Amino acid sequence: MILANGILYDTKEQNKVLDGLKDKLTATLTGAPLERETVVSAFDSLGKDLAAGKLNDLIDSIDLDGKDYYLDMMGNMMSRKFLEDKIALELYSDLKGSDRIKTKQIPLGVIFHIAAGNMDVLPIVSIAEGLLAGNINILKLPQADSGLTIKALKILIDREPRLKDHIYVFDTPSSDIATMQKLADLSDGISVWGGDEAVKAVRQMSRPGTRLIEWGHKLGFAYISGFEDKENELKSLAEHIMLTKQLLCSSCQVIYIDTDKYEDVIAFAEEFISYLENAALKYPVTELGGVAELTLRRYAERIDRHISSEDPSTDNDKIIRGQSTSITVKKDSKLELSYMYGNVIVKPLPSDNIASVLRDSKEYLQTAGLICESDKRESLSELIYRCGLERVTRAGHMSEFFKGEAHDGEYPLARYSRFVNIEY
Amino acid sequence: MDHRSKLFSIKDIYNLDPTDDLFVTAMRENCRFQYDNCADYKKILDGEGFDPDSLKTMDDLADLPFIPTLIFKKRRLFAMSQKRMLWKPTSSGTSGSYSKIGLEFSALTNALKMVLRVTPKRGVLSLRPCNYIVFGYKPNRHNKTAVAKTAFGTTLLAPALSRTYALLYRNGKYEPDLEGVIKAILKYSKRKAPLRFMGFPSYTFFVLKMMEERGLKVQLPKGSKIMMGGGWKQFYTEEVDKSVFYDLVNRVLGVKDSDIVEFFGAVEHPILYCDCPNHHFHVPVYSRILIRDIHTLKPVSNGTPGLINLMSPMVKATPILSVMTDDLGILHDGKECGCGQSSPYLEILGRVGLKDIKTCAAGAAELLNSGGKT
Repeated sequence: MILANGILYDTKEQNKVLDGLKDKLTATLTGAPLERETVVSAFDSLGKDLAAGKLNDLIDSIDLDGKDYYLDMMGNMMSRKFLEDKIALELYSDLKGSDRIKTKQIPLGVIFHIAAGNMDVLPIVSIAEGLLAGNINILKLPQADSGLTIKALKILIDREPRLKDHIYVFDTPSSDIATMQKLADLSDGISVWGGDEAVKAVRQMSRPGTRLIEWGHKLGFAYISGFEDKENELKSLAEHIMLTKQLLCSSCQVIYIDTDKYEDVIAFAEEFISYLENAALKYPVTELGGVAELTLRRYAERIDRHISSEDPSTDNDKIIRGQSTSITVKKDSKLELSYMYGNVIVKPLPSDNIASVLRDSKEYLQTAGLICESDKRESLSELIYRCGLERVTRAGHMSEFFKGEAHDGEYPLARYSRFVNIEY
Repeated sequence: MDHRSKLFSIKDIYNLDPTDDLFVTAMRENCRFQYDNCADYKKILDGEGFDPDSLKTMDDLADLPFIPTLIFKKRRLFAMSQKRMLWKPTSSGTSGSYSKIGLEFSALTNALKMVLRVTPKRGVLSLRPCNYIVFGYKPNRHNKTAVAKTAFGTTLLAPALSRTYALLYRNGKYEPDLEGVIKAILKYSKRKAPLRFMGFPSYTFFVLKMMEERGLKVQLPKGSKIMMGGGWKQFYTEEVDKSVFYDLVNRVLGVKDSDIVEFFGAVEHPILYCDCPNHHFHVPVYSRILIRDIHTLKPVSNGTPGLINLMSPMVKATPILSVMTDDLGILHDGKECGCGQSSPYLEILGRVGLKDIKTCAAGAAELLNSGGKT
């Protein structure tokens, strides 16, 4: 399905839509600018309908993990208050130029969003940010899109037709290089969400001078050095892990324990597994494929070890299993990706070693959830962000959206804008 | 006659219960053979603490260690010297690596018996000469994948007057030639001899769509068949509903639902599954399927989704008597189908893992895209 100028087209009509696209984009760019108020009031009213249950038909037709949580979050994010605050924070309201030359912050122009499929609402968030900055947005849907994106955007446009020429959605697969290239060539900026391979592919595809806005894959972790309220802190960390299924950049992959004793790490894991299990009851994994892949991979590794005649006791990792979750206890301190879906890794990391360990993974750092005694919080937070982290939160809040939030160390609306100087 | 040959000589191939004892015995013999002749297989069984002689009843099959197909892509496991293997097909190597599976002479004779039993069920085996449209790779000495061989092999089920291939080998690579295929369809639809389609469903679908858009409709000669295999899982789970596809075939080619026949098989489990008139893949006597829990790998009851464990004593050259694919599936009770066959049938749900995973069908779609644009 394709969405262009407020009209839905069948995928097979892609070439027809593409043919007239350049002229349409140019006309929109040079036509009346998209007012911020138009965008804000459209999202605000959509958010109100969402809260009032008027979009339940749409919501019910979609299989969304952690639905209630995300709907709640979307409701907040679409409120007038949230959006106006975001604009005020991320964009300049009045820029002082000289008497002769004015400075303005204006939209980048056309933004090509290549969204990732790890969170169902992410493509909409990406488009919303592009619109708030006043841009024309072309979205390439992730392959794993649930169908929510195009439906929600169609509703938005039906409600506020002035947005129709600023939103284009294509379901082109990434393998259709010719089309991807065409869309990239029409754009002033490319916003890419994805792993190293996706980012590299976009870098290759884009012309020099096209602004690349890369939201690359990151690894999140939790650091534990004592507790303020142990029961609640562990519960909320476990719920964060199960809610995000460890699929987000900000999700916790590794839990570091401030110790150099392996026994302490094992003792923690043995205690934490029950928290994880309880959280899994609240936020069960419904994506069978991911779990199955993990199970199969682990079994294959075991069979492979038999063939290579490795003594199983040389295997350093201790695995503590619950019903549907597991904890792997490792002796090293390297930051790594877990098996995800509630299969977290626990490692020792004495606070003296934090800097050297984190600097080894500096390109992948983003969020750290910190659990510690209150008098250590300030110094530990500072140590962690100075090593390259972009946010340090309480452990349960690692993936939360909040007011004033920067993304990967930057404000998206600023990235989707540019400055112009005009001499009058 | 050994137990394996007896199993492959059974006439009533979808009545499993009476063959349980024979199946287990043949599996035990195969397991013992692999254990004694394939050092790596012995290591696996020893590592898992399984004794081949403990395989006595159907229930014991659940305890037999199964080998993930991933392992065959990484390692070469053989229980015979390669000289004794007549055929070494390779799997299509979705992830860039290939399984090498050897088949010895007796496995091939069993395979032949199997093909002769399975294919007449849907009227596919015929002496009447046909023209063929092969939606697959034209055989070439550079292409050893099983899909190419089976797509060619099925053109032997009835004598071939001609073969038109959708993927031609040009300048060192395969390129789709769909225009050529459409021309051939128009040409052969006017002949008396039946026309048969064989190969990837995604190509078949694409060509029929092209024909429909151009307003091209034909009535294929009586006895024509649409046969499909390879890449259909991706296709059905992600792209097109079966009924949509059947309607298209009917509209554009004038071929009835009952003349659409699908096959399924895997290099690591070379059993020929042919769909019933309701288009379900029932398990034939040559194999048994266990669906295993995605967390614990313990067998689950029919109707529950899980990982697919395929078993057959057909091959001795390679220890593929019990393998696990990287697909998710459901085994349904035979009676749910309604075609009258009592054996359970397998529904494939798709690959394990996160959603953006490529299969050979996706690879084919990629070729289509680049071919269609240049």
